[in-house]
Amino acid sequence: MTNTAGGHRRPSSTPVFQSVLRGGLVLAVAIAVVGGVIGFLAAGTPGLVSALIGALIGGLFLAVTAASILFANRLSNGDMLHPAYFGIILGAWLLKFVLFLIMVFLLREQPWIDGTVLFLTLVAGVLGTLAIDVIVVARSRIPYVSDVSLPGDGDRR
Amino acid sequence: MDTTVLAELSGNIATVGYGLAAIGPAIGVGIVVGKTIESVARQPELQGRLQILMYLGIAFTEALAFIGIATYFIFTAGQ
Repeated sequence: MTNTAGGHRRPSSTPVFQSVLRGGLVLAVAIAVVGGVIGFLAAGTPGLVSALIGALIGGLFLAVTAASILFANRLSNGDMLHPAYFGIILGAWLLKFVLFLIMVFLLREQPWIDGTVLFLTLVAGVLGTLAIDVIVVARSRIPYVSDVSLPGDGDRR
Repeated sequence: MDTTVLAELSGNIATVGYGLAAIGPAIGVGIVVGKTIESVARQPELQGRLQILMYLGIAFTEALAFIGIATYFIFTAGQ
């Protein structure tokens, strides 16, 4: 059940999070292209810039959660009850929201931003990422019993 | 001062908006993470499945927060 690579346990959820990250990247690029064209037609250059920023925020910031879980798994050696595990995930979550608030505060006063386009691309990014998350998780195959070391294979850890 | 004014509020109502947008996801993520810890403590062999379910829970919770914060600040821009 557990793959060992370089002496480290590889949690069974790692491939799922890697697919989530790949799907999120593809979605962010797609939203940047489609939103950029629509934003440019609707509001000119500010619309184009806003759509690109919205896609960047939507894709990048939502990918932070999956990336932080991957990083936490790597650091805690696949043990979810390791103190660093939830520290990393929740710390990344908090940091992301603080950065998002700072970005919103800075961006809302800028003349080269079209608020409506930015908002709509952000919402499209958030909802699209959720859809991809659900699809990837629903298609993933994870055994019921995994990530546990039995007495016989104690030398694996 | 006008004597009919009994109380006066000053400042930006956006502060209250941020507070409201922060309460929901904070409680939500707290519950998701707390329940995941509980579940892993009970059944450590389910870690793999619990991780991706926890991820879904966090993703849905933070989605509302993102939209909530963006709605308030972006729609009040230029006022």
